[in-house]
Amino acid sequence: MKSDFKKKIERSNKISKAVISFGGYGVIFSIIGIFLFLLYETIPLFYGAEIDTALSFKLSKKKHVVLSGVDQYKELSYLISNNGEIDFFNLKEKRITKKDTLPLAANEIITTGVRNSNGDISLGTDKGRILFFNLNLKPVFTGSQRRIVPQLELKKSFRSDVENPADNNGIKILAFSENDDGVLYWAWVNAEDKLLLKIYDPDEEEYFDFSLSDNLENVNVTALALNPDQESLIAGDDKGELYLFDLSDHSEPDLLDNWKAADFKITSLSFLIGNNTLIVGDKNGNVTSWFEAREKGSDELKYREVHTFKKMDSEIVNVVPSPRNRLFLVIGKNGKVELNYSTTGNTELEFSENKSRVLSASFAPKADGIFVVNSKNEVSLFKLDDEHPDVSWKTLFGKVWYEGYPGPAFVWQSTGGTDSFESKFSLIPLIFGTLKGTFYAMIFAIPIALFGAIYVSQFAPKRFAKIIKPTVEIMAALPSVVIGFLAGLYFSPLFEHHLMLIFLLSVLAPALFLILISFWGMIPERKRRTLPAYYELGFVLFVMAAVYYFSSIVSLPLEKIFFNGDLKQWLYSSLNVSYDQRNSLVVGFALGFAVIPIIFTITEDALSNVPASLSSASLALGASKWQTVKRVILPAAAGGIFAGVMLGLGRAIGETMIVLMATGNTPIMDLSPFDGFRAMSANIAVEIPEAPVDGSLYRVLFLTALLLLVFTFIINSFATYIGDKLRKKYARY
Amino acid sequence: MNVDIGNAVRKNEEAETSEERIVLETKDLNFYYTPEVKTLKNINISIPEKKVTAFIGPSGCGKSTLLRCFNRMNDLIPGVKLEGKIEIDGQDIYSPEVNLEDLRKKVGMVFQKSNPFPMDIWENVAFGPKVNGVTDKVELEELVVSSLKQADLWREVKDRLKTSALDLSGGQQQRLCIARALANKPEIILMDEPASALDPISTNKIEETIEELRANYTIIIVTHNMQQAARVSDYTAFLMTGDLVEFNSTSTLFTNPDEKLTEDYITGRFG
Ligand SMILES: Nc1ncnc2c1ncn2[C@@H]1O[C@H](COP(=O)(O)OP(=O)(O)OP(=O)(O)O)[C@@H](O)[C@H]1O
Ligand SMILES: [Mg+2]
Repeated sequence: MKSDFKKKIERSNKISKAVISFGGYGVIFSIIGIFLFLLYETIPLFYGAEIDTALSFKLSKKKHVVLSGVDQYKELSYLISNNGEIDFFNLKEKRITKKDTLPLAANEIITTGVRNSNGDISLGTDKGRILFFNLNLKPVFTGSQRRIVPQLELKKSFRSDVENPADNNGIKILAFSENDDGVLYWAWVNAEDKLLLKIYDPDEEEYFDFSLSDNLENVNVTALALNPDQESLIAGDDKGELYLFDLSDHSEPDLLDNWKAADFKITSLSFLIGNNTLIVGDKNGNVTSWFEAREKGSDELKYREVHTFKKMDSEIVNVVPSPRNRLFLVIGKNGKVELNYSTTGNTELEFSENKSRVLSASFAPKADGIFVVNSKNEVSLFKLDDEHPDVSWKTLFGKVWYEGYPGPAFVWQSTGGTDSFESKFSLIPLIFGTLKGTFYAMIFAIPIALFGAIYVSQFAPKRFAKIIKPTVEIMAALPSVVIGFLAGLYFSPLFEHHLMLIFLLSVLAPALFLILISFWGMIPERKRRTLPAYYELGFVLFVMAAVYYFSSIVSLPLEKIFFNGDLKQWLYSSLNVSYDQRNSLVVGFALGFAVIPIIFTITEDALSNVPASLSSASLALGASKWQTVKRVILPAAAGGIFAGVMLGLGRAIGETMIVLMATGNTPIMDLSPFDGFRAMSANIAVEIPEAPVDGSLYRVLFLTALLLLVFTFIINSFATYIGDKLRKKYARY
Repeated sequence: MNVDIGNAVRKNEEAETSEERIVLETKDLNFYYTPEVKTLKNINISIPEKKVTAFIGPSGCGKSTLLRCFNRMNDLIPGVKLEGKIEIDGQDIYSPEVNLEDLRKKVGMVFQKSNPFPMDIWENVAFGPKVNGVTDKVELEELVVSSLKQADLWREVKDRLKTSALDLSGGQQQRLCIARALANKPEIILMDEPASALDPISTNKIEETIEELRANYTIIIVTHNMQQAARVSDYTAFLMTGDLVEFNSTSTLFTNPDEKLTEDYITGRFG
């Protein structure tokens, strides 16, 4: 019987041990699991670019390729040779599946060609002719089978020298673009080194022809770039100068600006996606990027040099922008190719075409491949793996000079209206927002929670303490969405409405409060001692009510006298401080409301747990109650108090709903308490619906989550460590 | 309990003969923890100055309660009531004019369980003077050193004044508490079973300390150890169930008590 009983106990011991260890290890493993998962989702952000030769072959017939490209599935490529032949080369079957010929005159040779992302191609010939046609590689599905069908449509063909036909007007350099309204621009330099411009206006169905060389005396134009969005033309010359023409008036192009952009002959110019950033390459291998931005203290938009990229060791012969992002290829005369990213100024990778010249290079339409034809008649398709060029330690935590900004800055703006939007992924404004919200919450919560806990545990009448503590604990159970809702929809307008009163209460009230409270001290101590405890409380409540009443009475007249009747307006006009309705003060108030119960409860427990023998010892030595609290009880409870504050801090940092609802979620970095902010946690909530899976934003949001986890982990570990130390020092009673 | 009390008492005989001033006097003192239960009943006792007075009596008879009345530590307990008077140097310590902090500075206390603050040794001793407004470094230093010396602790701790008081042994901690009380320069020191939690050697040390302090302080000590009472005290009060049964010179009380109850108690017939 007895052994049975013992066995039973043993068994239940074993079971409970198993359950408890399972629970404990389970918690640890799930935290490690979450951490690893976040890491797994985040790590790809920091992978470098990789390139792999997917395919390489030699053309059987010698061709001089002027333009080439592949379709979005990288199955079909086209090669336009200078004799007007177009070969469609199937990369899967490794054979030419179709041929076409452009209508050229006898002995007419194509000298130069450009293609935009719509598939519109313009070619220039040595006979001074420009061919304009559309070439699209369209996927056609028959059942589950996919076939890429090339479609060629000749749109226009004209002689470049309408006014003065001559045979030696071959086209040397050609630029072409088309804007959203269908306006077509061609700019070229002919054999006589004349810079010519043709604009087709679809509204008037009319061509406008200009010779821009009149504006450029003794200028030898060596590179051209057209910007259809800004309706401008940029020409570079052999001295490294750039000339900016305004083409917005179709009947009168205008030389706007001229500046030195390089020390050598400019050999290559190209606008990147979005048509803001201009890449300039020179004869000496220098590559720089430029865009229009305001200088400090000036309102004028001017092209400013932004990045200098890795120098090439030969002349830059071509710059190829990516159709998807701000990657671009820089091609050197010696066959070297650089892949750069304009936002960061980084060179993602380099490769070389075995000592042969690159005749034509292009991105696959999804920017996941690079197609290159070299002078040895070798055609190569590279698989490009550079998913997140827009994210690096520098873009996340450093200042980046984004397009159109006056200088490098910390900016978070993940998505914009267009595909060509330059994503700005600085975590600094978010971290700043989190810290700002936490700061305001803590300066509001810590004093109230701490003094409240001291009062309740040390001074309040027992009966009263018995009510306060559970009440505050109920506060902790209040769903944060309720607090956020109240703060955002009720308190923030109230705050704004009674700004002066709030201001008065925070400045005048403490002073007034101290004065009135000191009347209590004027009652002789022995009298006070005999009064029931709730008299004191009643007096405090009375004083609070009186202070509020007084403040609300004087608030309006004071606002009239000092702030012209509107403090908000005055802040803006006199101090240049703008007032957001959902500002940091409101958040601090709301978030503080969520944090107070945590700090209060833990602090109160810590204070109450200080053994009575210590306070007895202190009191018996003639210390007053307050001296005892200050010198004995608070130090002895320091570990617990610290832990409480840290836990509150952790809550404030991780809190989402309140900051989401009570701020405007504007990711600005401004210390003003009247401005809003965007916290990391709220950012995740705001942006996750807009983040395509596995995109940069998606992963950056995971990184934010990881960062939050690490933050709270560090804070909690720190709290435990310091708490333990304090406890060892003070709480070994 | 059969002890050789006579031997211990003889030592103190000379003390009885000198003239004595009364420093603390209670008049018809009644004390209630709750309105229904009278814990101290009509206590009248006069404590002579610079003597050691011992309170003895069975557990729960009210020795600690009476002791705590003298520095008003009972005030901390809600709902207590006190009737009658307690005068120290002729002044009623429960009258409204009395400043509690001053009273407690004047009437120091050593608790049954040593309760040093979780601070270093120096800070422990300096605590009293500091909270009572002594800021002068030199003065504080002097107070700390002299108090530790008086409490017979100086030799043991002089090299480790900056280490935590909690690292001291139990006996040292208790002497530290005595030193801490002494630093306030009290007139009266109340000791509530100061050695009850200590081993014989530490107890001995405490008794030696009391021996040295008796010339300068009025000491009231509660003890369960009859030998201890006999050894250290000049006067002894015997309390039972809230009554002061007998208050007499220690030698008289232990050798020739006036009351039958006292005799029963000290000879171990109950208690
Ligand atoms: N804080 C208190 N509240 C209510 N009753 C108390 C309190 N402290 C003591 N008592 C009661 O008062 C009576 C006297 O207690 P007291 O502590 O004075 O006895 P004591 O003589 O010191 O006993 P011991 O020798 O065991 O320390 C006891 O019956 C005790 O239960
Ligand atoms: Mg006792």
